[in-house]
Amino acid sequence: MRLYKYFLIITTVAMILIACGFDNYDAPESVLQGKVTYDGEALGVRGTGEAIQLQLYQDGYELRDHIPVYVKQDGTFQATLFDGEYKLVTRNQNGPWVNARDTVVINLQGSTNVEVKVTPYFTISDESLTLSGSVLNATFDVTQIVSTAEIDYVSLLVSKTAFVDDVSNIARKDFQDLQAGTLTLSMDMAGNNEFTSAKYLFARVGVRTIGADQAIYSKIVQLK
Amino acid sequence: MKIKNIFIALAIILFSFNNCADFLEREPDTILSDDQIFGDPIMIKSVLSNFYGRITWGQHIDDSYTYTILDEASRSDGGPDTRQDFENDRWRVYNYTLLRDLNQFLKGVHESTVLDDETRAQLDGEARFVRAWLYFNMVRGMGGMPIIGDEVFEYTPGMDVTTLQYPRSTEAQLYDYIISECEAIKNFLPTDPSTNAARATKWAAVMLKARAAVYAGSIANYNNKMTAPIRTAGEEVGIPANLAEGYYETALLAAEEVITSGKYELQLTKPDDRGRNFYEALSVKDNNKEVIWARDYKYPGQTNGFTQSNIPASHAEDIDRAYAGPILNLVEDFEYITDRNGQIRTKEANGDYIYYDNPQDAFANKDPRLWGTVIYPGADFKGTTVVLQAGQKYLEGGEWKIRTSEPGQTDANDILITSVNGPTTTNNQFVNKSGFFFRKFMDETPKASTRGRRSEMWFPRFRIAEAYLIASEAAFELGQSGEALTYINAVRDRAGIQELTAVTFNDIVRERRVEFAFEDHRYWDLKRWRLAHQLWNGVGQNEYVNQQYAQQMALFPYLINDPGNPNQGKWVFDKFPTHMSPYPRRFEMRNYYNFIDQGWINNNPKLVKNPYQ
Repeated sequence: MRLYKYFLIITTVAMILIACGFDNYDAPESVLQGKVTYDGEALGVRGTGEAIQLQLYQDGYELRDHIPVYVKQDGTFQATLFDGEYKLVTRNQNGPWVNARDTVVINLQGSTNVEVKVTPYFTISDESLTLSGSVLNATFDVTQIVSTAEIDYVSLLVSKTAFVDDVSNIARKDFQDLQAGTLTLSMDMAGNNEFTSAKYLFARVGVRTIGADQAIYSKIVQLK
Repeated sequence: MKIKNIFIALAIILFSFNNCADFLEREPDTILSDDQIFGDPIMIKSVLSNFYGRITWGQHIDDSYTYTILDEASRSDGGPDTRQDFENDRWRVYNYTLLRDLNQFLKGVHESTVLDDETRAQLDGEARFVRAWLYFNMVRGMGGMPIIGDEVFEYTPGMDVTTLQYPRSTEAQLYDYIISECEAIKNFLPTDPSTNAARATKWAAVMLKARAAVYAGSIANYNNKMTAPIRTAGEEVGIPANLAEGYYETALLAAEEVITSGKYELQLTKPDDRGRNFYEALSVKDNNKEVIWARDYKYPGQTNGFTQSNIPASHAEDIDRAYAGPILNLVEDFEYITDRNGQIRTKEANGDYIYYDNPQDAFANKDPRLWGTVIYPGADFKGTTVVLQAGQKYLEGGEWKIRTSEPGQTDANDILITSVNGPTTTNNQFVNKSGFFFRKFMDETPKASTRGRRSEMWFPRFRIAEAYLIASEAAFELGQSGEALTYINAVRDRAGIQELTAVTFNDIVRERRVEFAFEDHRYWDLKRWRLAHQLWNGVGQNEYVNQQYAQQMALFPYLINDPGNPNQGKWVFDKFPTHMSPYPRRFEMRNYYNFIDQGWINNNPKLVKNPYQ
């Protein structure tokens, strides 16, 4: 009887120790971090709705599909992967930049930082977004990078969360027929219930180029 | 002992009887051989009818939800729909199983010995027509796809599978193939209309040719006018601009061929009641002169749930009702008989309400097709009024206040507060939320909205008005503005609204929107004109804005119940974004072409991906 008891205990302990990890891989631990940049500066993009995607490929398998890597609104991205050699490309015709699908080869051993260099049509800098009463006043510089690009519209965006883009917002105003340079624009949000009741407010400006599927954005400014 | 012996004896006898029956060698009764099928004309016909049942894709009346994702209608059942974007496989058709079945059928029909030449030609024509329709449904979603001709692929283990893998054709090649197939088979098909337009005729084939050509022409034209045209290196997507003219010419000739055939006409049987006339041209099968090819339904067995799902609550015959309702955006695109601005007038210039004696007065002198397309507040259905009343309004301290109730309740003076039909802004089921009900395709037959019977309403795919509008569009793009004007005015005349004196591109866009509402045209039209990303631009509205299509809008009628007020008993209207679809539609560049599934690429590495994928 006592022998039987020991058996039981030993078997149980053995089972507990053995059961896991037998036929499973270890979870991936290496972290690939990076930024989408121009001139060393990270670019502001739409961070919601899987709007901006990079694609990671790994060679050596018969069937292969990319691993989508989504870019956050400050232009950074992150993926947890197994060690190995990967190829990183931008998604075809996606993003406020010239569609160049140059491959970045990444040899991932432990955590690695990469920079994906792109050529945006425009960049936004020196943005100053202030709120006076219910009016958002925005002053910012739009620099033309690609000489043939034309501005489709410039948007002023206000959101009650830190996610601000052309879809996640409570107030949006588009301005057309603008040229690159220093722009001063304003938007009156009087009568917008969501604006008056919001506890926090964040704002951002976006520039959409004709033909691009996404706009480029400034940094996010907290108004309230 | 004795009993045991008897048992054994019995068992032996039983076994000896059984052994001879070859119960393991029966003919399977669920699988039919080629000889059984193609040796019997009735079996051949039933295989063909199976194909007709497998080819309804896109927006159609047996799936009411498909009406609510564009800018034509909004859902009314339950809570809000958070839809904003379009899926990468929205209305994507990739059906090589059906293609193989069709090719197998064609082979069988050609080899069959029981058919006379005329029947054989007709069956051949119908199967090839269905095949062309299938390719058309693939190309309008994905661009060029593999063309496999009449090949019936067989796989035997160990064979070289690369012989089964075909690369994608170019988008232009696939449209050309559809056009040439329609041209090749049109004389195999009957020239007289078929019963309920259910089977393909010569004119269905010519219509498919016209539609394919005008689609291809507008892609060649408008895609290349974009700043960044959508195309792939191998032209699987994107048609060269120089082909546009040829396609438009083909479309114009084909459309004119149908118009001059004399077999169909812009149906005008009730010139004194143009609204009713338009409804009957679309939704009544008997003596129909309008419809060329339709998905027909027949009780028992083949019925659809459109009437059952969407019937007004006041007219419902079963528990289902008011699943969805058309929206104000569509209603306002219908013109007035003599005024092209179709806005529903609810406010005076000074901001005061306009007071109407009856709710239907707000729609007086609208394009009669509006009556035939939607049930607006105060309109009749099956001879009785459909009451749409969101609530009562009264003045308090100089401001209009709203009184609402549960649907169907009255106040102390027995005056209705909120109609049983709605509209409301609650999350309740079975009550309208947009202010309008469907009329087009709403079956007036008794019991058509019950679960036990459902509706025999058909779903027209081609009708003569489309021939006129294709002719008008193609002529316009070819610079023949006189013909373009003649054809568009023919449609407007039948509708009962003023003629145009000149045609613009926007006139064609708008005419097609109102004429073909709920007929599976809108999505594909906006795609081929490359307008979808401009109209469904994701820009939300907090308030009503005219002529915008991203945000769905509602129109709520209120009865004024404010004793002593000079406007007591009159009606006012409010316009606002519908709460059932709070987010504006957002059509992105990637939505112009469906994504190619990775699984297909794994099976056939010769397929290339679409742009933005």
